[in-house]
Amino acid sequence: MAVSDAVYALGGSAPAAVFSPRDAAETATRLRECDDAGRAVVLFGGNTLQALANDPARYDVAIDLRGLDRIVDYEPRDLTIGVEAGLTVGAFDAALAEHGQFVPLDVPRAAVATIGGTLASGWLGPRRAAYGRARDFVIGTTVALADGTLAKSGGMVVKNVSGYDLSKLYVGSFGTLGAIVRANFKTVPLPQTRRIALASLPEGTRGHAVANVAALDLEPVAALVIRGFTEIDGRDAPEGRMLLLFEGSERSVERATRESRSALGAAGVPETRLIDRDAPATFARVLDAYVALLGTQSTTYRSVGLPSDLSARVACALRAARANELGLETIEDLRTGDLIARVSGTTGAGFDARLTGFEAERRETLPGARVLAAAPQSRASLDAFCSPPASLAKMRALKARFDPRGTLSPGRFVGGI
Amino acid sequence: MTGANGSDVVTRLIDAIGAERVLGAPEDLAAYAFDAFCEGALPAAVVLPNDARDVSAVVRIARECGEPIVPRGAGTGLCGGAIPSNGGVVLSFARMNRVLSLDAENRRARVQPGLVNLDLSKQIEGHGLFFGPDPSSQKTSTIGGNTATNAGGPHAFAYGSMSAHVLGIEFVDDAGDVLYVSIDDAGYDLTGALVGSEGTLGVVTAVDVRLLRAPRAIRVCVAAFGDVESASAAVSAIVAAGLTPTALEIIDRTIVQAVEAHFHAGFPLDAGAVLLVEIAGEPADVDAWDRTLAGVAREHGALSWRSATSAREREALWASRKGAAGALGRIAPNYYIQDATVPRTKLPLALAQIEAIARDHELLVGNVFHAGDGNLHPLLLFDRRVARQLEAVAHAGHDILAACIELGGTISGEHGIGSEKRESLPLVFNDADLATMARLRDVFDVARNFNPDKIFPAGAVCGEVRAAQANLAVPLPAGAWL
Repeated sequence: MAVSDAVYALGGSAPAAVFSPRDAAETATRLRECDDAGRAVVLFGGNTLQALANDPARYDVAIDLRGLDRIVDYEPRDLTIGVEAGLTVGAFDAALAEHGQFVPLDVPRAAVATIGGTLASGWLGPRRAAYGRARDFVIGTTVALADGTLAKSGGMVVKNVSGYDLSKLYVGSFGTLGAIVRANFKTVPLPQTRRIALASLPEGTRGHAVANVAALDLEPVAALVIRGFTEIDGRDAPEGRMLLLFEGSERSVERATRESRSALGAAGVPETRLIDRDAPATFARVLDAYVALLGTQSTTYRSVGLPSDLSARVACALRAARANELGLETIEDLRTGDLIARVSGTTGAGFDARLTGFEAERRETLPGARVLAAAPQSRASLDAFCSPPASLAKMRALKARFDPRGTLSPGRFVGGI
Repeated sequence: MTGANGSDVVTRLIDAIGAERVLGAPEDLAAYAFDAFCEGALPAAVVLPNDARDVSAVVRIARECGEPIVPRGAGTGLCGGAIPSNGGVVLSFARMNRVLSLDAENRRARVQPGLVNLDLSKQIEGHGLFFGPDPSSQKTSTIGGNTATNAGGPHAFAYGSMSAHVLGIEFVDDAGDVLYVSIDDAGYDLTGALVGSEGTLGVVTAVDVRLLRAPRAIRVCVAAFGDVESASAAVSAIVAAGLTPTALEIIDRTIVQAVEAHFHAGFPLDAGAVLLVEIAGEPADVDAWDRTLAGVAREHGALSWRSATSAREREALWASRKGAAGALGRIAPNYYIQDATVPRTKLPLALAQIEAIARDHELLVGNVFHAGDGNLHPLLLFDRRVARQLEAVAHAGHDILAACIELGGTISGEHGIGSEKRESLPLVFNDADLATMARLRDVFDVARNFNPDKIFPAGAVCGEVRAAQANLAVPLPAGAWL
């Protein structure tokens, strides 16, 4: 293995070979060859979200899709774009922004993350309550299956009920059904204005502030309560910081700012800072924090749930962290109901044992939580997906029908798929 | 297949469900052989389930008797998606029509599949919420049917089709087991795969839907254009300019005249085409957008621009838009509605070609469609008593689909493939594409008991997909009643 191939190591095992195909046909050929030879394949993009899946049970070949980086079909006036999977999200965003458009993927480390990896990981961003999920913007995909079949579904139109919408299956499948080689999206016009309102919450103000924000007439596209995660803005406050992201016409953002300031003021929050020019950079730091480790002594989880039970889940995480003498930082996403929880060791020794204790407790109290980031030495003791759903048998059958020899990312997915 | 088992399956269903909710007499069954446009075969039985347990029992009995299952909402489908092809048991969800629970705080509800689309929005409007997808059939079509066809409607332009609004699905699988899947499940997005699968993967027994907060101000504007091409050029310009109205609908002269005579909503009668624009949001924004949109429309040849601000005016305009097809009886005894999508910039070209195709086949065509999404609905007007016209309609329908595909579009935007367009699907997808779709079906229904003879071209079993035929059959089933 060449030194540079170390980046493809997962769970302490490095692949015997790394392929970097240049197009869809070559990707399909490589997959078929591996499938015929019984070699297990893991697909790579920007290597930013691999921690969201488990380490592979078998691993012989890495296929790096970053060579498939073309914008294949972009007609801005149609508000649709078709790109290859290895294109970085940063390049994708830039191409769209040139024409005043965007797709709200909200993925961390956009400069290196790829379109294919973002989709395969099923990444969920904080603006999805306002705009929809990545899956809702995908209007077509082309996928290379393990047997070398290249198959498309959907198309380049924004409304389509022609055959099964297989794109939905590929998004979030972690490359266990096939390699997404191309994805088509519908795009959205960029809002005229973006503004972040950021406020430190003094002792005793959180509940009131959250309630007042929920009652705002002009809804923020994202509303987060952040405790810890000081890499975002370099500060913390007794009850965290309230971060509101507003997007829309200048007029409505102005009004939203006024109303949110008075809503927060009424809750006892003395000061709200406005971030205009740096709003995109600040928001990008928030997203990066979702998957950022604090040294080697931390693990980050995402618990997906209803906004109404967010507080209860925060309490569960806090209890489990305290019981195991771990530090806890949280991002509460008031609109989507996501809880991002980063636990970390405050002293040097015994982190892994304490994390094991935390794992055991949160499996009971936060059964749906999934891993977003974990240090390599902790990963073996974590199940990235936790409790499989009742439909697991159907999922296993699906895997068997799409990848009968278990060539693609064996063992990385839910329930050992 | 039906004859021998027919009475047997009816007896067993009556034993399990009760005689009052099982129909087996031919005169009762006849009504279930149709949807809004196609006639299929008589089913062996019709069952009106009360709950998922009933559905589960029916699926098991049907399987043991070798009878297929055909789920049915309100039967408003336009492509034969809910009609039996060869006996079978029709599951009608007329009795499963309630909102089971409303969670206004989290903006979601669990509803039964037989709930009428409009009834959902009516039942939640007191909470300041509404449901996004609003097909023109919303007064009768059901959430279950909307889910099966990934229905859209005028507001899909702003809010997306059903798949963006279905958060979870309870369904009965081919073994008769009740399963629940959600978009938040770890693992594959089975929910997303079920939406738009036209009843071929399982029988939906409950749907968790996403609800939207009602905008503070809504306005509908009506612009008159000289012809339908300039109206669609204006739509392309509006979309390309990054303006985001909540609906962009075009109605051509033929349809405007029929609609106006019927509804008197105030559409300009002298226009070659009418553009309906809905704007929603903050009151101040709505005022500003109204002015901007009017400007863009005028630049593209709008002859007039009228803004309807009152709820009554707005509702009248929408009622006539959504009731357009019903008003066509004034022009021709019969009509055939097509559903195809093209990239939005191709709208003017597609409309010119549709006009030419109709002329070639000596047919009158009307257009009323979701312009913002590039979703066309040409209506071919004819008299079914004239044999030559019936044949011409079938050929023109096929030519229109072929033209839309040629322009980079597809053969259905929101109605589905059903039985009507199954032989046209190979125009869009090759063997490998269709065989891959069939893999999904193998997982959920390897025996092809759920709504057989839909979506896939005849002969497409277990991945062996028939090659696209050079001499494609006319895209109408033998029993089409037009």
